[in-house]
Amino acid sequence: MSDQWSDRLSEYLDGDLTEAEHLAMEAHVEGCRECAETLAGLRRTVMRARSLEDRPPAHDLWSGIAERIGTPARIAAAPRRRRIAFSVPQLLAAGIALAVLSGGSVWLLQPSPLTIARPLVEVPGDAPVTQVGVGTVKGYDAAVDDLERVLAQGRGKLDSATVRILEQNLAIIDRALAQARQAVAADSANLYLNSHLAETMRRKIDLLRQAATLVSAAS
Amino acid sequence: MFLLLALLQQIDSTVPVERGQRLEVSTYAGEIAVKTWNRNAVRVVADPDSRATVEIDRSATVVTVRTQRRRGGPSMVDLQITAPAWMALDLSGVYTDVTVVGARGPIAVETVQGEVSVEGGDGLVSLQSVHGSVSLRGAKGSLEVHSVNEDVSVTGSSGEVTAETVNGSVTLSKVDGTSVTATSVNGDLDYDGPIRDGGRYTFSTHNGDITLSVAEASNASVSVSTFNGEFESSFPVTLTETRKGKRFSFRLGTGSAQVTLESFQGTIQLVRPGAARSARDEDHDEDWE
Amino acid sequence: MTRTRPGPVTLRRELTSKSDSDAVDAALAASGDAHAFERLYRGHLARVHSLARRMLDDDDADEATQDVFVRAWEKLGTFRGESAFGTWLHRLAINVILGRRERRGIQRQRFLEGEGIMETVPGRRTQPETSMDMETAIARLPEGARQIFVLHDVEGYRHEEIADMLGLATGTSKSQLHRARLALRQHLDR
Repeated sequence: MSDQWSDRLSEYLDGDLTEAEHLAMEAHVEGCRECAETLAGLRRTVMRARSLEDRPPAHDLWSGIAERIGTPARIAAAPRRRRIAFSVPQLLAAGIALAVLSGGSVWLLQPSPLTIARPLVEVPGDAPVTQVGVGTVKGYDAAVDDLERVLAQGRGKLDSATVRILEQNLAIIDRALAQARQAVAADSANLYLNSHLAETMRRKIDLLRQAATLVSAAS
Repeated sequence: MFLLLALLQQIDSTVPVERGQRLEVSTYAGEIAVKTWNRNAVRVVADPDSRATVEIDRSATVVTVRTQRRRGGPSMVDLQITAPAWMALDLSGVYTDVTVVGARGPIAVETVQGEVSVEGGDGLVSLQSVHGSVSLRGAKGSLEVHSVNEDVSVTGSSGEVTAETVNGSVTLSKVDGTSVTATSVNGDLDYDGPIRDGGRYTFSTHNGDITLSVAEASNASVSVSTFNGEFESSFPVTLTETRKGKRFSFRLGTGSAQVTLESFQGTIQLVRPGAARSARDEDHDEDWE
Repeated sequence: MTRTRPGPVTLRRELTSKSDSDAVDAALAASGDAHAFERLYRGHLARVHSLARRMLDDDDADEATQDVFVRAWEKLGTFRGESAFGTWLHRLAINVILGRRERRGIQRQRFLEGEGIMETVPGRRTQPETSMDMETAIARLPEGARQIFVLHDVEGYRHEEIADMLGLATGTSKSQLHRARLALRQHLDR
């Protein structure tokens, strides 16, 4: 049966009708058995389409591709250390999680199961890039230590309420860091978790810097 | 020309200013309250106690108002300032609440223990406190509001908005942002404003809920990430896939704007405009530590 | 408090979480690292090949797949990372696949005119296993209707986008989709 109702069942299913049309169709389907059945059938078909699984081809196609792109099918040489000069914007554009610390040092966050020859990234400025494992980097830890020392030595110059607030918030961030690290350890390829960890580390450094600035302003 | 006023009684001075000059006010404790008029002059009214002085200084580019502590302990000076609306403001203090009304130029405010409340601002607006809430209304341009231990809010403003705090919520209401970044560590994020085509909206918190208001005709590519939080929508959204670690994307309309919603362990919620406030009040009954 | 129900949102089929490491590999491959590109190839082969198989014929799928990856290698420099690599690759694959279709220039019945059109299109017989039935049924659709169905229901594109890709009116895309679904339903429910 082909009529104004059944012809538009797919649009109804996909939500492509206007509000008024949608309501009218809803009312019609409730009263029309044939349309209701057709609708159910359409829904089943769509669900099956959505749950189709992808299958690779029967034979591997890489050698043909390798030949066409001008590369031998297997690169026999041992993995070399390669120097890759990406600018920070290029890396960011490639969606690689970067944590840019105040002070200009930049980290490259990589999911740890990857076994790429460790790249060194040159960035403008004097700060080298350090590869980050799961949130433990020499550069970051050293920066945190320095700033925490400044705060410890200078806290006498700040009033107790400010010190309390700073310490309370550093504790909040530390708690978040611990949770984030734990999550990354369990799912190290997860880009969200990695970038969330980097962001939380940045928050800590930012707050420590802010505290250090307050200490020096109070001196 | 250099004016030094070290009176023990109330100060009430007005100095003429020229277009292009900016105003810098720096104090230690006490309030800075700025309102505006359309005279090309700056008026300073203050009531310092015996341990403070107020200096007003003028150069070709800047008018400075500074309170100095005499040795011997803290002092409180409340400064009431009236300045031309066009004047750029740079206000800083330590134990200082700052309020500004009616400004129409760039504004920078920095305090440690004090609340910041600004109405107005055009161009670069940057407000910062450590232990105090920060609220901005009716501003346009490149807007930044930061706190550490309290809430920040932006209302009825437009432009590029960055709102950040550690232990507090971020509330952006009737904000027309072309680019919006809202982050907290321990706090909720609320956005109630249009989602503009081509805009970028990033909301990220660790321990807090995100409530995003989405008008019916919005065009956005939305990506949702959470570690062990939830996602809810009060209008129809088809989610046929979620991935472990709870991350997924979907598209509204043409998908023009980029919307990123990330909460490590909170609820990410989409609502229709106007519903944001009631959704938040209904849902939120937890106490943050 | 709130519930979700099917409604007016199109979900683009997203890739698995491995797409996270794709970003790193894409950057490396763009600078000439063939190892990295091979990793990308292995990660996305099934998806690209399945798309090629469903949009074209079985015999063309292998060659089309190779074309896709060769083009991807050539165009890596233009991948700006604004979307996931898989999304970019997928879009490129569709362009390559549709380009092949045009070049072949064989006049075939492209669209569904009325009822029962599937009987006139030769197909293969298969085991009555659910997914194979679906893939076989899709293969039996005339090319134009099949591509619309695959792009909309399998791949998640919207009618406006499909119309753009195939050079049709949006209305044609909608009506062909509906007919394709009805035809498939008929075949599958037999």
